[in-house]
Amino acid sequence: MTPPAAFATAPAGFEHEALFYRDDETFLAGVLPFVRDGLTRGEQVVVAEPPGRLELLRDAVGAAAPVRWLDMAALGGNPARIIGAWRTVLDETTAAGRGLRGVGEPAWPGRRDAEYAECRLHELLLNTAFDDGPAWRLLCPYDQTHLPRAVRTGALQSHPLVSTHEHRRPSTAFSRESAAATFATPLHQPSEGVLRGIYGAGDARATRRTVVTFARSCGLSAEQAQALELAASELVANSVRHGGGSGTVAMWRTDEAAIVEFSDGGHISDPLVGRRVPPPEQVSGRGLHLVNELCDLVQLRSCPRGTTVRITTWR
Amino acid sequence: MRAHGSVTEPPAAHSADHLCWVHDDDEPFGDAVRAFLAGGLVRGERLLCVGDRAIAALEDPSGSLGDVAALLAGGALETMTVAEVSAAAGALGADPQRAFYDAATRRALDDGYRGLRVVAEVTELAADPGLIEELVRWEHAADEFIASGSGMSAMCAYRGDLPPATLGAVLAVHPLRHGPDQLSPFRLFFDDDRLVLTGSVDTFSADRLATLLAGTPAGNTALLDLSGLEFIDVAGCRALAGWAGELQARCVPLEVRGASPLLQRVWHILGLHDVAPVTFTDPRG
Repeated sequence: MTPPAAFATAPAGFEHEALFYRDDETFLAGVLPFVRDGLTRGEQVVVAEPPGRLELLRDAVGAAAPVRWLDMAALGGNPARIIGAWRTVLDETTAAGRGLRGVGEPAWPGRRDAEYAECRLHELLLNTAFDDGPAWRLLCPYDQTHLPRAVRTGALQSHPLVSTHEHRRPSTAFSRESAAATFATPLHQPSEGVLRGIYGAGDARATRRTVVTFARSCGLSAEQAQALELAASELVANSVRHGGGSGTVAMWRTDEAAIVEFSDGGHISDPLVGRRVPPPEQVSGRGLHLVNELCDLVQLRSCPRGTTVRITTWR
Repeated sequence: MRAHGSVTEPPAAHSADHLCWVHDDDEPFGDAVRAFLAGGLVRGERLLCVGDRAIAALEDPSGSLGDVAALLAGGALETMTVAEVSAAAGALGADPQRAFYDAATRRALDDGYRGLRVVAEVTELAADPGLIEELVRWEHAADEFIASGSGMSAMCAYRGDLPPATLGAVLAVHPLRHGPDQLSPFRLFFDDDRLVLTGSVDTFSADRLATLLAGTPAGNTALLDLSGLEFIDVAGCRALAGWAGELQARCVPLEVRGASPLLQRVWHILGLHDVAPVTFTDPRG
């Protein structure tokens, strides 16, 4: 048995650990020592938790402690935004010559299945994104009392290390290949009625308008419809420029969401596309990044047979 | 605001009209030329007809322009071929063309006219692949000259069988347009001290916008009005930021008025403030 997270020595590389807790007490017992140890070492400590847990932890740590508190509900509403945020923090702390340790809970209880699916892919891709970079530690709390079994099992597969407030061990279920495999696995097809259309090079404007009309018919706000219009523009352009010249737009609605999906025959080999902030001078790769920032939930999957970007907007 | 938008016939004459007229049949084109010029006569402007097709429209059996021969003889109406204007201006470039029309407008004002109203049928210039870029630059610069209160108004006519990209490029730089709207998804024109961008800019039209902006005459400050902009994507924003960067290099600050909250959010997400600083202000300034 290895000691719990807080008392481990400084990591050699990226250390990605799932912390399973049962209640507030075991949450604090697992996270507090990790945070305090980071502060003692002079590391930059960043905590990204949903509001309730954020307050619980802040009260326990003390408001005066030099911790950066991030609202995970805002940052991680679309989990594809989180890696970019960690990347920015890591670059800043590395440039300042400091260590970094983070706490991130993207898969909090009460999220929808599609969100949990993206949380799992996000957790897998964290390893892809940071494994070859500077050393830092990320502790990801999982509520083992309230989360669905599949989410808990997914956490075992996406984290090389798993722990409770008492124990810490390597995860036997973890596999480095899972990230690429999950990214290449098609999304579940909808059971609802789907509106479908094909677009080509000259159809960008018409496709934007179709999407806006659909968004309004679903009762989305003007702001939500505009974000989808912009997303449509970027994704149609991607299909035309990189996806074989044409694509398909599919639209359907559920009780809680309006969903717009763009598919084409192109293949994206880098699963981190859209999750990193492109440097200002870089022209390509901005569309997906912007879509990730603007939209409620974005699901990107790609394999040699084609690419799909599914955008969910909560009603 | 200056007269702008899509029209089916020449609108009532105002100062600073700049109308792009895409035409197919000679007869309705002749009617449009005469209607545009007649508006100038009523306003007390001198008329200048440039290009063979425009000049041909003066031969009107219905006499809607009155006694054309008398107008010509009295100096209220002048005609020139495109070649004659090119010879007089020295070259097809924004600066020599502007100098030519500036002189012609001043002459009209000095002669007691209220301004100069020009109809120019310049299809032959637009049809030359070696000239089209410079022609569009000049049209854009001409719009600034016309909007500046110079006293000039113009109807610029092009045949509808020119390549769609050519027609789209010239339509885009006129506030008033008669032609297929889908060819120019956005419009860029001047209004008082402002440059106004309307319509939609996406990745397929952003390069054209960037080229136009690069050729925009700018003074010590620049003000871009986006209040009437329907849509802009990442490539369009980058075109705006690229222009802001060029202006910054010349120490000209750019104010962007009436940008939507979404555009400002996109600007922030894309980190475009780092490319060049831009001041966003509300639509009322």
